Amino acid sequence: MKHLNRRTIAAAIAALTLGLSGLTGAAFAQDYPTKPITMLVGYNAGGQTDLVARAAAKVMSDALGQPINVVNKPGAGGGVAAKTLTQATPDGYTIMFHANSVVNNAPFLMKRITFTPDDFEWGGFITVYQAGLITQKDAPFDDLDGFVKWAKENPGFNYATLSPGARMIMSEIAKKEGLDANFMPVKGGGEMINAILGKQAVMAMSGGIHAKYPDDIKTLAVLTTFRQPSWPDVKSIDEYGYALSMDGRAGLMLPKGTPAAIVKRLSTALANAETDETFIKITGTANIPIMYLNSEAAKGEMMRTYKEYGEIYRKAGVEPR
Amino acid sequence: MAMQALINGFADVLNVYTILWICVGVTIGYVLGVLPGLGKATGIAVSIPLTFYLEPVAAIAMLIGIAKGSAAGSAVSAILLNTPGEPSSAPTALDGYPMARQGKAQKALKMGLFASVIGDLISTVVLICLAAPMARYALLIGPVELCAILIFSMTFIGGLSGKSLIKGLIAGAFGILFATVGMETETFIPRMTFGLLELDDGLPLVPIAIGMLAVAEMVVQAGNMRQLDKETAQIVESTKPEDRVVLWSDWKRCFAPILRGTLIGSIVGVLPGLGASVGSFLSYGATRRASDFPEEFGTGRIEGIAAAESADNAVVPASFVPLFALGIPGSVIAAILIAAFVLHGLTPGPRMFQEQPEMVAAVYASMLCASFILLIIGYTGQRLFAQVTKVPIRLIIPCVLFLCCIGAYMETGSIFAIYIMLAFTVFGFLAKKLDFSFVTFLIGYVIGPSAELSFRQSLQILDHRWVGLLDHPIALVFVALTAVILVVLARSRTRNINSLPDQTAGTNTTTGGNRETS
Repeated sequence: MKHLNRRTIAAAIAALTLGLSGLTGAAFAQDYPTKPITMLVGYNAGGQTDLVARAAAKVMSDALGQPINVVNKPGAGGGVAAKTLTQATPDGYTIMFHANSVVNNAPFLMKRITFTPDDFEWGGFITVYQAGLITQKDAPFDDLDGFVKWAKENPGFNYATLSPGARMIMSEIAKKEGLDANFMPVKGGGEMINAILGKQAVMAMSGGIHAKYPDDIKTLAVLTTFRQPSWPDVKSIDEYGYALSMDGRAGLMLPKGTPAAIVKRLSTALANAETDETFIKITGTANIPIMYLNSEAAKGEMMRTYKEYGEIYRKAGVEPR
Repeated sequence: MAMQALINGFADVLNVYTILWICVGVTIGYVLGVLPGLGKATGIAVSIPLTFYLEPVAAIAMLIGIAKGSAAGSAVSAILLNTPGEPSSAPTALDGYPMARQGKAQKALKMGLFASVIGDLISTVVLICLAAPMARYALLIGPVELCAILIFSMTFIGGLSGKSLIKGLIAGAFGILFATVGMETETFIPRMTFGLLELDDGLPLVPIAIGMLAVAEMVVQAGNMRQLDKETAQIVESTKPEDRVVLWSDWKRCFAPILRGTLIGSIVGVLPGLGASVGSFLSYGATRRASDFPEEFGTGRIEGIAAAESADNAVVPASFVPLFALGIPGSVIAAILIAAFVLHGLTPGPRMFQEQPEMVAAVYASMLCASFILLIIGYTGQRLFAQVTKVPIRLIIPCVLFLCCIGAYMETGSIFAIYIMLAFTVFGFLAKKLDFSFVTFLIGYVIGPSAELSFRQSLQILDHRWVGLLDHPIALVFVALTAVILVVLARSRTRNINSLPDQTAGTNTTTGGNRETS
């Protein structure tokens, strides 16, 4: 009797919970959000992406009327945070702000990262990374062609590598032009800038941080498909004939299965950042250009770039490790 | 920085509003520092969003206050509980805890605070006067020089390994071994990650330090609970004034260590990639070596506290030198602060001085104020915290363990960090029981990755030719120094072993406890 009772109660509770969750499931798309939202960032606090994420969180929480807590979960270039995101309930209360490279770059470099654009919902992108090849202001060349010419006469030059992607770009240029490059590892953007300012390396790939040093550093080529706002006169690497350009964007990633209405809601809230005065000021001082893509455009961009960038890495003979 | 500008800066800062927020920052930092497991990096990262609503100068001053406060506060738990609030205060515990067990907790705490404040103040002045020129000089210290300096600092393992050099070296080697976990920097192949994504960026220092320093210590103390409680009952907080205050004779002994610590801390802070732990270990080691009684260190020498704490605090302002002058973060704190600076409209870097001189002056002035506020708050807070020595250990242990778990969890926000903490608790416990030095382990762990990276960079810069080293005189000096120290160390070891066969037994009794020497 006792057992039966307990079982009945348990079943009742289970039914109740199911019913309740079904109810909320139907209701929450309209009322969303009714409680604070957690925003994962896969980089350390204090970095460029973290800065944009926190500024965007502020704009979005104003628009949504609920606080957004930024939680830094660094590791594997965002891989750890993205994995956490895939395990989160797709209810719009766990979202992630990150660089899209974690999906359209990392899987081609790291064996244990197997994300595809289909593993997430895309809530829109707000900023782009102004990646470029950089050197000292007083270097004896002014563009990539000039560098190649100089490098042929100066074998054994030092190139600072921040990431596997950075290494791949110089390997490809060196392979095509027959250059003899030394790859000097650096950890983090700060150290990369150090290596250039301290003249330990003649060239480096920068993710965009070099925009802070206009008096000491010049850009030889930009690594995006478009010309960058901070250096409108600098040609892209594609224009130099190397077909290596990849666009890095930062924006919202959501767990697969997040209701379309919520994705739309977040995407619209993110759009406010485009015109928000504080957001413009913060990204402006850090030289991070705003280029908004809504959720559909973001999804399309991810599908296309995942294919294209995978091809670039495969052609370069880079295997995921 | 012109004097006039600084005076104007003070005019901007000396109002109730700003001073209040500096006090809040220093207090938060001090308390976080005292609590084992919680540290300044966590404190600042968590506080940044709170400062959105403050005036820019107050916000930045508050965050810097947190950094300064916690660097000083971490000495308190090191001295009273033998569990450093932050890894950088680990050397403070070596002499501070024995002093506290001898009833001289007040004196040890005061010296720790004074050394912290002096180191902090001088280093802040260094920052103000030399931000620009020093940063340019710091760029001369390239990877080749840094590599030589790091190899040189590894010789300190010899000086700090306690009774057995072999055990010290083994612990140091373990430290270096664990430091190799994670993505290899040149070809980006993951090493010893066992397929765990969480290990790609290496084993995080904070959970390791918490596990080895705090949790393991709590386990050891739990094992000795009865004994410790009996002792605690017996430790009569000495009422003799000479055990409660810092005497002139103490000052005389600590004067040189504090200055040396400040110098070492400032240099370590300016160099990128090192950090407070390296600073305090180097300073402790150097003071021990310079002392006439190196064998008495670890038994309650007040110079040990002075050396470690002055360097620990001096690192904080000095690490802002590359940040302010070049926009390059010299430490984790500085990196976190970049975001705060930018949010509040100040972009660190050379142009900051031309574009916003008033704001820079105000930040400088608030940093100086923070030093003095630290003295006041620390002095008041210590009386409160010193009562901890009277609390039975069975009440302390659960509180500390709880804080440790929070601290380990917070940095990366993952349970994985707590597993790492637990794993290293076992490691730390065994190390303590078998008398392996965790100090040399930490030196190996902290210096290992920088040494590897700078060595690989050096190979590329020198184009794999040893002769290239001749172009780097600073590096040559340190390589030569390393060789000299190795020889001196080896010779003094053999002499010591021959002449002082039972010296270790002697030091053990003077500590008055049955603790393992850490």
